[in-house]
Amino acid sequence: MRCGDFKGTYIKDEEIFQSLFVKFCLGMFMLFLLVFPFAADAYMLYIANMIGFAVIGAVGLNLLTGFTGQISLGHAAFVGVGAYTSAILVTRLGFSFWLSIPFAGLVAALAGMIIGIPSLRVKGLYLCIATLAAQFIFEFIFIHWESMTKGITGINIPHPRIGSLEFITEKEFYWITLFFVVLGVGYARNLVRSRMGRAFVAIRDRDLSAEIIGINLFRYKLSAFAISSFYAGVAGALWVTFLKVVTPDHFPFILSIQYLAMIIVGGLGSVLGSIFGAVFITLTPELLNYLSEIVKMYAPGHEEIFVPMKEVIFGLLIVLFLIFEPRGLAEIWNRIKNFFRLWPFSY
Amino acid sequence: MKKTVVLVFSFVLCLGLFTFSKAMAEQNPTICAVHPFTGPFAFAGIHGADAMEDAINMANEEGGVNGKKINYYWADGEYKNDVGIAAFKRLYAQHKPHCMWAQSTGMTKALAPEINTRYKVLYSAYTFADIAASPDKNPYMFIPGPTYADMFGVLLKYIANEKPGANIAFFYSNTEFGREPIPAGRKMCKEMGLNLVAEEISKVGGVDITTQILDMKRKKVDYCIFQGFVATPIQTVIKQAKDYGLKCKFLGTFWSTEKHLLDQLGPMANEYMGVTAYSYYYQDEFPMIQKIRAWTKKHHPKFADYRTQAYMQVFMGTTLFVEALRRADKAGSISGDSLAKALQSIKNFDVGGLMPPVTMKNNSIPIGRVVRGNAKTGKFDPVSDWISLD
Repeated sequence: MRCGDFKGTYIKDEEIFQSLFVKFCLGMFMLFLLVFPFAADAYMLYIANMIGFAVIGAVGLNLLTGFTGQISLGHAAFVGVGAYTSAILVTRLGFSFWLSIPFAGLVAALAGMIIGIPSLRVKGLYLCIATLAAQFIFEFIFIHWESMTKGITGINIPHPRIGSLEFITEKEFYWITLFFVVLGVGYARNLVRSRMGRAFVAIRDRDLSAEIIGINLFRYKLSAFAISSFYAGVAGALWVTFLKVVTPDHFPFILSIQYLAMIIVGGLGSVLGSIFGAVFITLTPELLNYLSEIVKMYAPGHEEIFVPMKEVIFGLLIVLFLIFEPRGLAEIWNRIKNFFRLWPFSY
Repeated sequence: MKKTVVLVFSFVLCLGLFTFSKAMAEQNPTICAVHPFTGPFAFAGIHGADAMEDAINMANEEGGVNGKKINYYWADGEYKNDVGIAAFKRLYAQHKPHCMWAQSTGMTKALAPEINTRYKVLYSAYTFADIAASPDKNPYMFIPGPTYADMFGVLLKYIANEKPGANIAFFYSNTEFGREPIPAGRKMCKEMGLNLVAEEISKVGGVDITTQILDMKRKKVDYCIFQGFVATPIQTVIKQAKDYGLKCKFLGTFWSTEKHLLDQLGPMANEYMGVTAYSYYYQDEFPMIQKIRAWTKKHHPKFADYRTQAYMQVFMGTTLFVEALRRADKAGSISGDSLAKALQSIKNFDVGGLMPPVTMKNNSIPIGRVVRGNAKTGKFDPVSDWISLD
């Protein structure tokens, strides 16, 4: 008896929807995402939007770091470039929000390509430092190019609209976020199974060998930086439009670290991992906030001890993940899937 | 597996019951707050959270809002904008508060458009920025004290009286907090006939300030006003200024007029002055300070020796929340609009010496007092009466 999910061709192996069951599950998940805003309150929708922005940014970084092996500590800077581009285009040049989004991505992509140039000569820790420099250079620009960015005061951004339809509340903005998340994740999932995606993986595994088999390192490394930064720019533009204000405080170095944490916890080299990581890093502190509220209620007067503990627990969870599942949440998901693939006849 | 399911189910059930039971108690006047309980501003948030709880408990003991108990809920915002805004939205979704206290200027700026159009709650924060004192733009926001620009005004008024035509330097951090009152300060210098001869900028926590000190010496600065720092580099500037022979008086605004700075200055504390908005914890000649001291001794004995000025700020803010709630309730209903109207109606309101009798002006209280450090006692002594900017 044929038992399990076997593929007979490479095309089958690369399919996104590999079985009827997968299609069904994804369909149910999409249905959940569509129904969710009607059942959730403003706070839950706020968090859902934040997860959405994090997913877009994390997918972008995973394409660069997880798939192409180019580590970047400047992701927050590209998020900032996109955010400021959108804000300036909308407020100064009267662009519509919808037109500002691709421009935000393109300007961030351009910035990414410039910062990515050192990647042709340096690798590993050296590239880390080069991208770190980008983070600080852009932070400096955001603060000091006052005629354009309004410096520390920041720019107030109007809410998006289509004709008379306005996107003001968390619920209304959720649809915009969902649209871009689906688009971004769908494109990334397709990209990694294309010629470009395979080139990225070849560069990650051994760039010298990749060059020998005919992969143009210059082209693909810069492409990876450009695509990754494009995602970051779009995430930034959406994020600040949602917040209705952009200031340099939004893009600190720690944000770059958070994005790295998302893809490491989620799973390097996995689009699904980026999603899991973004959800984990965004949602866990909120759940810990709930826990600390319960503790506050039942142990009044001990807030100074328990409230800061959530930071410790969060850190501990990340460390435990790295120790017990270095391949991330995506690998845990794979194991669960494999368990059920043969269930109940596992051996 | 079964155990896990039972555990998860129990957790969800507890969470549900917890939320439900809290929702049932929401009919009363409710105040929510996002305090920076952890992170770089925790020195203010820890005391602030207590201050709000204490002021509300005291008010409830005195009958709450015309007999209705005031509810109080708070969350930690970690002094990060995104965490703070998430906490704000969570508290709002759970408790639908009438009054809201937030953790920073950044959060205030981010929330201002939504406070005006969506939330419509009486709002204040750990900020003295102008944005919260503009009732024409932000009618629901207020500052329970002077703005940073007002504080500069108080200091400059004091200097203009002491030494007309003095040379002034502004020494500020390259942050929003640091730059906020600088344009207003420049204008006031001109109006009061003072010479603004130098503007020095430094990083928060910066230690290499030799260039700035030499520049101030060259420009013969008589008074240097700090803005945008809590401690470092203020103590470094004062110590190094002496080494370089700079004869100048140093003054600071609210956040740098705190006891810990005098402790760090040691014997040089006498050379530091500042402007404060509230009476200090050790000024127990005032009935409200006596009340706070007695309450702290009873409920928070580990802070019985000292409460920071941040405590006084939040206590004052909460007192105004409660007063606005009482007035709005008496007038018929509690809503954002009725609270804003009630707040603006506050005139000569006695706060037991925490401040002089309070009159709201442009949703702030433009009054301050100049104080000088005392190296012997490690306390600030008042050197002026309350200076009002009318």
